[in-house]
Amino acid sequence: MRGFEIVRPTTIERAIELLESGDPGVRPFSGGTAIMQMMKTGMFVPERLVSLAGLSKEHSAISVDGEGGMKIGAMATLSTLERNDLVQTCFPVLARTMKRLANVRVRNVATVGGALSHGDPHMDLPPVLAALDAIAILRGPSGSREVPVADLYTGYYETVLEPGELVAEVVIPPSDGASAIYRKTTSRTADDWPMVGVAASLRLSGSRISSARVIVSAATAKLQRITAAEDVLTGQGPSREVFADAARVASAHSDVIDDAHGSSVYKSALVEIEVRRGLRDAFEGETAE
Amino acid sequence: MMEKVNLDGAVVNRIRFKLNGREKNLDVASHENLVDLLVRLDHFSARESCGQGLCGCCTVLVDEIPVSACLTLAQLVDGSEVKTAEGLAPPGELDFVQRAFIEEGAFQCGFCTPGFVMMTHALLKETVDPSETEIREYLAGNLCRCAAYPEIIRAVKTAARNRPERTEKP
Repeated sequence: MRGFEIVRPTTIERAIELLESGDPGVRPFSGGTAIMQMMKTGMFVPERLVSLAGLSKEHSAISVDGEGGMKIGAMATLSTLERNDLVQTCFPVLARTMKRLANVRVRNVATVGGALSHGDPHMDLPPVLAALDAIAILRGPSGSREVPVADLYTGYYETVLEPGELVAEVVIPPSDGASAIYRKTTSRTADDWPMVGVAASLRLSGSRISSARVIVSAATAKLQRITAAEDVLTGQGPSREVFADAARVASAHSDVIDDAHGSSVYKSALVEIEVRRGLRDAFEGETAE
Repeated sequence: MMEKVNLDGAVVNRIRFKLNGREKNLDVASHENLVDLLVRLDHFSARESCGQGLCGCCTVLVDEIPVSACLTLAQLVDGSEVKTAEGLAPPGELDFVQRAFIEEGAFQCGFCTPGFVMMTHALLKETVDPSETEIREYLAGNLCRCAAYPEIIRAVKTAARNRPERTEKP
């Protein structure tokens, strides 16, 4: 970790210019909690860090429109997400998820944009945002484009982000009565990285499930939306049996990998259990902790 | 612009920041983290232990917000106000949180104590009377290898009772 340059642009346009070369030694730096560890271990040897800390406040703003859709600036910290009144009212699952993510100090500096663009499949925020149908607004040298959070990842620590592209904003559509949950299992300590992460969302119309989202992360190389499990749920009346069927399908369709957190057999078994419990929690509503 | 290089051959930049109320104006290398910088300025209360932001031994306040100094690039505190345990009370004196930790015997070896003390300050600034659950959640990211946790929780409660703005009121 020596001999690199730290630059502090004050506009996103300038930040994009500074990152455009695509040089692997040039990276954006926001909260820095993840990239600092990569630098300390020598996994990433920087030539230039483009600090985004000097960008204007609009990039960390959180707002809600008339229908209940939410916009979150990518530079909003995870602590802001945890404490923001609008988030707590409109998408309480986000605030609840933050409470069990790393610790206060990490949440104070880590940003929404960083959590989305780092590409570590163990992160908690991407699966939750994917279950909420959130869209990431990317800004880069050739303008801006929208990518659903569920489609941001191409592999282990790999994203669709092009050189010079930054996650600028996240847009969440109105919840429209849907109830969402996130459950994580840690295999060593309570505050460990998750071995299995499951986010789910259920929307009921009368006595039927009108839409469902099932997202599996951490156990897989990248977060995975399991549409086969969603299809099992959609149109059905909620019941233990339907949730159990969907959970079996979710586990069967998850591309679970072995790692230090556990074997793939163990994690596949847990995916089924966690999806089943997650759907129950989502059905029972936001009071379920 | 000519790059300035220090004796180790690392490129440096000049930064200005406040450390415990005092203006600092010095050259900092890009690879230095905030613990490195504090040690260079003879401030030893923030200790780099895990180096990953999970043990809390290097907790300092940057613009009143608790952060892990080991994950903070020193150049990026330019323009900020940094507070460490050394700045809590005048030399030779202790502030109400430090006194509460002594009163409750909330440490054995003391290595983690400055981090816990700084976190306690941040917690009591956010929450006047934290519940036991709030204390446990807020301090979950601070490790005490001597496992003085019950005493630490008591110390936080004692500090909450003894905070100056509370005891000074008639």
